[in-house]
Amino acid sequence: MTTPRPRAVVIGSLSLFVVLFVILTFELSANASTKTGKTQAAAKARPAPAETKTEAPEPEEPATEYAESEEQASEYAEPESEYVEPEPEYVEPEPEYVEPEVEEVPPVVTSSS
Amino acid sequence: MIEAIPHTLSSQGWWIISRSSAMVAFVLVTASVFLGLTMAGKPLREPQFTKTMRALHEQTALAALVAIGIHVVAVLADPWLKPGVAGVAIPFVLSLNRFWNGIGVIAAYLAFLLGLSFYLRRYIGAKRWRIAHRATIVVYVLGLFHALGAGSDTGSLIFLVFAAVTAVPIAILFVYRLGAGRRAGERRRRAVRQRSRAAAHEALLENS
Repeated sequence: MTTPRPRAVVIGSLSLFVVLFVILTFELSANASTKTGKTQAAAKARPAPAETKTEAPEPEEPATEYAESEEQASEYAEPESEYVEPEPEYVEPEPEYVEPEVEEVPPVVTSSS
Repeated sequence: MIEAIPHTLSSQGWWIISRSSAMVAFVLVTASVFLGLTMAGKPLREPQFTKTMRALHEQTALAALVAIGIHVVAVLADPWLKPGVAGVAIPFVLSLNRFWNGIGVIAAYLAFLLGLSFYLRRYIGAKRWRIAHRATIVVYVLGLFHALGAGSDTGSLIFLVFAAVTAVPIAILFVYRLGAGRRAGERRRRAVRQRSRAAAHEALLENS
């Protein structure tokens, strides 16, 4: 067993860093490319911007709340624009089924004399 | 998705760097603590094996310090977080996740102090250094809680599995080391008592 070179640890760490960097970049880009993903990513990734400042006065409105309300507003607006007055439902009358009466014919008895 | 990458990097690049470097730092600290505890348990007394373990322990610890440094710089440069120098340098000043980030700052200081104390053994004394070095487990524990409490990737399955899989053997090795240390202390005390008893006996024989 030989003493490991520091290069192995350095290369391993750098490789892990690059892999994580690429994965996170792609993940955030994929989220950003969709509208809902954007709002979700903003809300998930940056949970409380109001708390981020160091001993700073509180901002007027937290960003997450803003993002959420924006999302809610867009969700609320959508059904309104697509609202179509429902037409009265036409119900086709079902034809009444009447069982045909079967005439009972008495058996003809012929007598042969 | 590809067209969104430049925008992602320009707006969230520092955040991505801070997350990646934090995960690398956590992996390296975990590896270093694991190797240190394994060495302390003396699983093999083969000199070459011990030499290899010690080299890996030192290299992973130094790489972890570099990763922690990158993490701190990236957090400091994050345009969204804007923690300021005080936010990353003084524990419990950053108001976002105040407690969890506070223990993260303490963990970073301890990591640098305890990690670099290895090179100051000549000045502080080997015994003192050894006692201080045992506290390195605190860096791992604080780092783990910092990651769980303030990390952006705490919910990811890979992180949780990694933390759980590594925390259990580290805890077992730590408990074993505590026991081994106590046993070694008892052995030393017994040896000292025997030596002093033998010296007293010799002195008694000489006098008589």
